[in-house]
Amino acid sequence: MAIAASVSIISGSLIAAGPAQAASKDLNIGLTLDIDNLDPQRATSFATVRALGLVYGSLVEVGPKLDIRSGLARSWGFNAEGTQLRLHLRKGVKFQDGSAFDALDVKASLERILDPATKAAARANILTIKSIRAAGYEVTLELTIPNVAILAALDGVNMAMLSSDDIKEGNVGKTVNGTGPFKYVSWEPGQSVKLTANTTYWGGKPKLDTVTFRVIPTEASIISALNAGTIQFSVITSPLVAKQAGSNLKVYKTPGLAYVALQLNAKVAPFDKLGVRLAIQCAVSRAEVVKTASSGEGAVIGPITSPAYASNPKSRPCPNVDLVKAKQYLTDAGYPNGLTFKTMVAPTQFATASGTAQSLKSQLAKAGITMEIDAVDDSTFISRWLAGNFGSSVANNGGRIDPDTMYTRYFTSTGNLNKVAGYSSVTLDANFAKGKSSGSDSDRKAAYTAISNELEDNAVWIWLFSPYEYRVATKNVTGFIPLATGSLIELRKVDLK
Amino acid sequence: MRNKEEKAKGALHYYLQSTSGIVGAVLVLVMIIVAICSIFGITPYDPVEQHIENILQGPSAHFWFGTDEFGRDVFSRTLEGMRRSLTVSITAVTLAATLGVPFGILAGYIGKWFDQLVTRVSDVFFAFPAILLALAIVASLGNDWYDTALAIGVVYTPIFIRVARGPVLTVKEMDYIKISRVLGFSSFRILRKHVFPNVFAPIVVQIALSLSWAILTESGLSFLGLGTQPPTPSLGLMVSEAQPLAAFAWWTLVFPSLFITIVVVGLNLVGDGLRDALDPARRSS
Amino acid sequence: MNFRRIMKYPGVSRTLSVLTTLFGISVFVFLVLRVIPGDSITGAFGIETGALSPQQIAELRVYYGIDQSLFMQYISWMQSFLSGKFGFAYSTGVSVATLTKSSLPVTIELAIIGTVLGVILGIAIGMFSAKKPGSTRDFAGQLFGLLALAIPGFVLSTGIVTIMANKFHYFPNGYEYMTPWENPWMNFQQMMFPGLVLGIAVAAPVMRTTRSALLETVDKDFVRTAHGKGVPNNTVQLRHILRNSLIPIVTMTGIQFGYLLGGAVIVEKIFALPGMGRQILDAIMKREYATVQSSIMIFAIMFVLINVATDIIYRKIDPRIKK
Repeated sequence: MAIAASVSIISGSLIAAGPAQAASKDLNIGLTLDIDNLDPQRATSFATVRALGLVYGSLVEVGPKLDIRSGLARSWGFNAEGTQLRLHLRKGVKFQDGSAFDALDVKASLERILDPATKAAARANILTIKSIRAAGYEVTLELTIPNVAILAALDGVNMAMLSSDDIKEGNVGKTVNGTGPFKYVSWEPGQSVKLTANTTYWGGKPKLDTVTFRVIPTEASIISALNAGTIQFSVITSPLVAKQAGSNLKVYKTPGLAYVALQLNAKVAPFDKLGVRLAIQCAVSRAEVVKTASSGEGAVIGPITSPAYASNPKSRPCPNVDLVKAKQYLTDAGYPNGLTFKTMVAPTQFATASGTAQSLKSQLAKAGITMEIDAVDDSTFISRWLAGNFGSSVANNGGRIDPDTMYTRYFTSTGNLNKVAGYSSVTLDANFAKGKSSGSDSDRKAAYTAISNELEDNAVWIWLFSPYEYRVATKNVTGFIPLATGSLIELRKVDLK
Repeated sequence: MRNKEEKAKGALHYYLQSTSGIVGAVLVLVMIIVAICSIFGITPYDPVEQHIENILQGPSAHFWFGTDEFGRDVFSRTLEGMRRSLTVSITAVTLAATLGVPFGILAGYIGKWFDQLVTRVSDVFFAFPAILLALAIVASLGNDWYDTALAIGVVYTPIFIRVARGPVLTVKEMDYIKISRVLGFSSFRILRKHVFPNVFAPIVVQIALSLSWAILTESGLSFLGLGTQPPTPSLGLMVSEAQPLAAFAWWTLVFPSLFITIVVVGLNLVGDGLRDALDPARRSS
Repeated sequence: MNFRRIMKYPGVSRTLSVLTTLFGISVFVFLVLRVIPGDSITGAFGIETGALSPQQIAELRVYYGIDQSLFMQYISWMQSFLSGKFGFAYSTGVSVATLTKSSLPVTIELAIIGTVLGVILGIAIGMFSAKKPGSTRDFAGQLFGLLALAIPGFVLSTGIVTIMANKFHYFPNGYEYMTPWENPWMNFQQMMFPGLVLGIAVAAPVMRTTRSALLETVDKDFVRTAHGKGVPNNTVQLRHILRNSLIPIVTMTGIQFGYLLGGAVIVEKIFALPGMGRQILDAIMKREYATVQSSIMIFAIMFVLINVATDIIYRKIDPRIKK
């Protein structure tokens, strides 16, 4: 112990010979990946979303209780039919370059998202916008059909409000100019992204002076860096690593919206047989998958993870493992002696990928089903997945607070990812339409419950669990509120003691 | 001229005089026995069977090397892992030697444009990062152990070309070779009688060394996620999976690392012993 | 001016063969990358690629330059490479040359530190061992050599990071990387452990080569003569024996340095060093063709140059080799 203490003291003074920390409140965040572009409306990768999310703002925000709160829009209202949304914007908000934010910026930003040439990630979620009227600080959106769900779709970094001048001059993606709590300073590719506090932020001046995202390629090294105090905050995705965080660190654990599922492609044999899919569903214990693949950390879920419409995980043909039923389904489907199939997995894609595949393999074996794990790298996985060139795959997909934005693109017949999902039906289409346009909460709940039940009764995919979101910080970080969406926006309230 | 039998006995005699050779041979033999146990299924437990109630337990009477995060027996997995590592490494080196040695000998013997061509091509492979090649092969062909072996084998072929070519160049200049050719002896006979015996020793030594490197390369590739895929255990994969566990479950890291170290040390010692036994110049030291 | 005469000029045939090799590597890298499934678009967009319309995909193919024939793609890459820009790394918004300007020095510094440490350590232990062959010292030295060879680099690295950071709270690599010009002390601390890991790996073969070279030379006549003349033992060791043993050591060092240049990926990853190894690996995963191709070409050029340099040193040291 004495040795450790004296080495710590010596090493502390060694390190202090570097840049002085003094009175400045600098938060260093460790991430395993670097950002990959500067255009918030095209940000999809893990690090880009989190970093740009601190620099840009959207019209509404999602709060800790997954409620919708005001963002750049102070208040709003729908008309009676739900076909018109009026947003009243905040006054006095400035962009990083000092220019004022107003309704024209909103119109330009939304139009940019809707423009196919932008390849904006959130475009599909706001396609019901027919026209946009903007004047002063009022924005009116005319919708093609009643679509109350669009309000939730206005949140997030992909719905970032940009300066209309930047859009006109083609600066977006080359320079960074947002309304967020922090201002962009620099990006050293492969190494770090530096931000500094926005002193005129509408939510109040942040207590932190600077925020730096640093690339530390392995999560184990990130924990080491936290333990050594060289970084103060991090986002961890591996439950095993999060468990390794010592008692000298703070672990913020929140249930997430993302879900891990065994995706089945109902267009490819043997998954075209309902019996086969149901057999798989009945042979798998989700609790066991959570225990082994995720170190016991995770919630067993149904298709919909949006809290207000969450599926009941017990509402499926086999809420618990039933090997007898599974074997029966197989026999009825024409496979009395079991069957064999390949499942595509990208072990580096997410922390619990390979563990999930292994757990499934070992459980399915008990029902006479041989699952061969076909491990590929990320890019190969994506290109095969998009082409629908797989029978089954283990995937971790993001969730949203609204089921409309979460699943429309997969399970409606016109959805752009329907080829991948491999399943659609007239009833699904009808229910999605109802959910999108209905203004009544109870009607929406009914529609999404029906969707969830249909997906489970047909074992379209095997929904397994929802991993937790982990943020690990040193003890001197105070005031942070973790959000299930993964957003780090609440760093605007954080202080370093 | 001593006949082959006498030569072999002589080599064995010298080999057995080398301490390193004996120690190495013993270590390697132990590891081979370990691997064979795994082939015939003589392991305490099934290496991929998950014992959910016994997750992350330390070494005990039930689980000699403890269990991992899936409740799998680390001892059984280590045995199976050794088998996989040896399989991949033997296949890879066999491939590399089978391709490399003939090309090396021919390149050295024929010389001229053929030599230039072979050397150029082998330089290209030599300068090529093993990882990229491994990723390419693995991404396009698949992740089975033979794909990894193919990747490693291709990367090691240039070494065998070089090792085979060197002695041939030296021997080619010697007078008795020149006389043989002038006298009209067939190339094949010259190769067999004079060239090959000189090439034999360095190749054998190189095989032992390459086997040890191949095991390290395979574990490096598995560490990066490009080698053996879960749930099949390979020593490198086990070390990679043990990374986040190391701080509180040391047995998941220590035992596979130990086995890698033992087999690599053993193979290197065998290489030393072979060098002492087969290379007449060395025997004096 | 006929062909034969040109070839006789010193350096011409050497240069030609180097150029042929480099050309071969460029073609090989180019083709291998195209064989792997996935392309720049899936690398950049991930699953969002599914949200793109065929027209958008066509536009993107033009943007990334993958709509042209393979031959044209190769030519336009070669043009960019030879003009010094090395191509464009789309995901970072800068040219590969800019990226390489900051990452290559890191890898070179790491390789130099690893090689120097390894050579010093290896020669020292090799000499230590060779003084009394068969003794306990020799055994210890040889054991070190074997262990240094056999313990995988990633095991050593993980061990160092875990112990240093978690027990001693010391992890200089958790700070922003500093170049030697910005902050020499921080840079030293950040390079020290990864350099040590690589150095140990290099020390192993250097030590064994040194030991066996020394043992071989010791028997030679000129050494006996020196002893006979009364030259003190240490001088004999250093001046006569070592200098003559240098050839295999130099060759070995050359190979190791070249290997380190390409092979420090794992160490760079664990110690968060922003070097070329990581650059290449990340670019492969993202299918950033230009970055991978140009980076590997740069490595290959350096590797080849080191081989040439080693050869020249080789010839200078050993007068027995005919020019």
